[in-house]
Amino acid sequence: MWQTPTLDPRTKLLIVLCLSSLAVLIKNVYILLLVLVLTLAAVKLTGGEIWHVFSKLKRFISIFLAVIILQSVFTNEGQAIVQVMQVKLITDVGLLRGLQTILRFFIVIAAAVLMTTANPRDIIQGLIQWKVPYELAFMVTIAIRFLPLLQEEATDTLTALQLRGVNLKQIPILKRLRTYSYLLMPLLTSVLMKSRDLSVAMEMRAFRAYPQRTSLRELQFSGIDYLAMALSMLIFLLLLVAALGFN
Amino acid sequence: MISLQDVSFHYKRGKWVFQELNLEIRRNLITFIVGPNGGGKTTLGKLMAGILKPQTGMVLIDNLNTKEVPLAELGAKVGYLFQEPERQIFANTVREEIGFVLDLREVPPAESKAKVDQALAQFQLTHLAALSPLKLSRGEKQRLVIAAIMVNQPQFFILDEPTTGLDQERKAILSGVIEGLQQQGIGMAIISHDQSFVQRHAQQLITVAKGEIVDVANPNT
Amino acid sequence: MSLPILVKDLSFQYENDATQILRHLNLAVAKGEIVAVVGLSGIGKSTLCYCLSGLIPHVYGGMMEGEVLLQGQNTKELSLAAIATTLGIVFQNPDHQLFSFNVEDELAFGPENLCVPRAEIARRIEEVLAKVGMQDYRDASPQQLSGGQRQLIAMAAVLTLQPEILIFDEAMSQIDADGKAMLKAMMLRLKEEGKTMVMIEHDLDNLQIADRVLVLREGQLSPYTGSLS
Repeated sequence: MWQTPTLDPRTKLLIVLCLSSLAVLIKNVYILLLVLVLTLAAVKLTGGEIWHVFSKLKRFISIFLAVIILQSVFTNEGQAIVQVMQVKLITDVGLLRGLQTILRFFIVIAAAVLMTTANPRDIIQGLIQWKVPYELAFMVTIAIRFLPLLQEEATDTLTALQLRGVNLKQIPILKRLRTYSYLLMPLLTSVLMKSRDLSVAMEMRAFRAYPQRTSLRELQFSGIDYLAMALSMLIFLLLLVAALGFN
Repeated sequence: MISLQDVSFHYKRGKWVFQELNLEIRRNLITFIVGPNGGGKTTLGKLMAGILKPQTGMVLIDNLNTKEVPLAELGAKVGYLFQEPERQIFANTVREEIGFVLDLREVPPAESKAKVDQALAQFQLTHLAALSPLKLSRGEKQRLVIAAIMVNQPQFFILDEPTTGLDQERKAILSGVIEGLQQQGIGMAIISHDQSFVQRHAQQLITVAKGEIVDVANPNT
Repeated sequence: MSLPILVKDLSFQYENDATQILRHLNLAVAKGEIVAVVGLSGIGKSTLCYCLSGLIPHVYGGMMEGEVLLQGQNTKELSLAAIATTLGIVFQNPDHQLFSFNVEDELAFGPENLCVPRAEIARRIEEVLAKVGMQDYRDASPQQLSGGQRQLIAMAAVLTLQPEILIFDEAMSQIDADGKAMLKAMMLRLKEEGKTMVMIEHDLDNLQIADRVLVLREGQLSPYTGSLS
């Protein structure tokens, strides 16, 4: 039976880096498809949920359609597949380029889902062990930690505004923009207050006392990490060479 | 009257906070909701104001179902004061804070001004009208939020931990505000863990713990 | 031996203010003593906290005269990092002082900053968690805890730096009755260990654990006799 290996977050970062670089560098649709399959396999093997990828993708469907049409209309090359009057709405070249964009998108999203299988705390620790300055790493920690809280506050604030008798759906667009600008004030106040309090609390616990600090936790690569990293580098190089050959 | 009928609620991806809860809040009594932190007091308050919608069952505010009526209309029935007043202060001056919603709704300027002046006076904010709300003390911010909500003339007011961060003198001012609102015929549900404050004002006392109403009492009657 | 806290003729004025908020204030706190400070909002209680903890003059600007001595050392001459091992402060809002993903990280944060060896950090975490009775919550996220538990963790996070002095800046104002009881019991235990504490309070119900209650008004401290103004 397959047992989900616990990969070091740094290994996961490297895999994600390899896969998303491939997504950006490669143009060939078939190889992109292969990269996608590999990415989905990696998601599955590291214990991620593939349906998660698809559920995230749903939101982008209309954008994908728009991309295909825009590519077709503006490149104006290739054979028309759907044509309205004189305008080639969908062409084979447009479709191909659209497909390319979609696949790239797909891969990047799947790679992001792979990253969510890592504990954010370990990712930060990984970054620190990769010599990322710890001040920066803590900024990321705090951002991740407080984002849900801010989201909740933003919802409360929006609700409070509507309870004042402002019906956002019935306001004309220009006025609606002005209405939204009113939301900035409470959100900014909250962020400023929180960050001031947090930075004081951190300083009172000796944050930035020295350029270095110790870590209670330390991450260590295991055999499976080296294997996974070697494999992803190998695939990265192979596919890149293959893509060059195809062009 | 606010009535909760067989209300069940859970947050996204969370456990049930309430299951099949039934409760009525009448306008002629000041109701206090008490109980330990994390027992669901704030959730209950938000359900009563229509800020959160139950997954099953319904919340009726004067017979309007909170699931069916837009928030903007509920606002004419019920006001909600968050624990942190900063969360619901939107404008750059005290006067604008009370008036901007009226302007957005295109209330005639003369009428809007009259309403704002009246609210400023009622909540002892006239001398602060030109200031930025950020310059106010916590108690003043709270009164500002209450004043801004009161221009909509809601029938109910739900207050979440209004005494947090207030010293005794400011608590006394808040007590005055609450008594004033009751004289105007406004029903109130107040979430609080401030025992002396509860003792002073509670006419109905609802104890909530672990998602259940463990006690309903009518002190002082 | 020098007193844990000795404030001599302290005056402070914020840059944008016309008047001094603290005026020639004096305070001496003995080892193992719990001193409570009450007063109206905006009267300068938090400012006093900032002065005691060195946040004034190290973080907040303004005109400060007189001196604050912590165990005989002037806060002006100590770095904040040095102060952190002498004095810990628990603030009002637990959500604005806990920032880690779990309790263990939160407690490790202080000693990590001071480059304490890993084994020693682990030992201190063990010890402090046992002290505050939160051993079972080592891997919990602070968000899963009740308000009282969060304040206990905020206190524990300070205790891993092994300070002799603790300041509570309205630390009980946002927690329920159970949480208050937990925190007060913990403070009494720390007192037995000889820790020195200053608590700023709104709620007069919380004063019974204090050895002395002082009232801050007109920029000065005097014994509290039942009236704030």
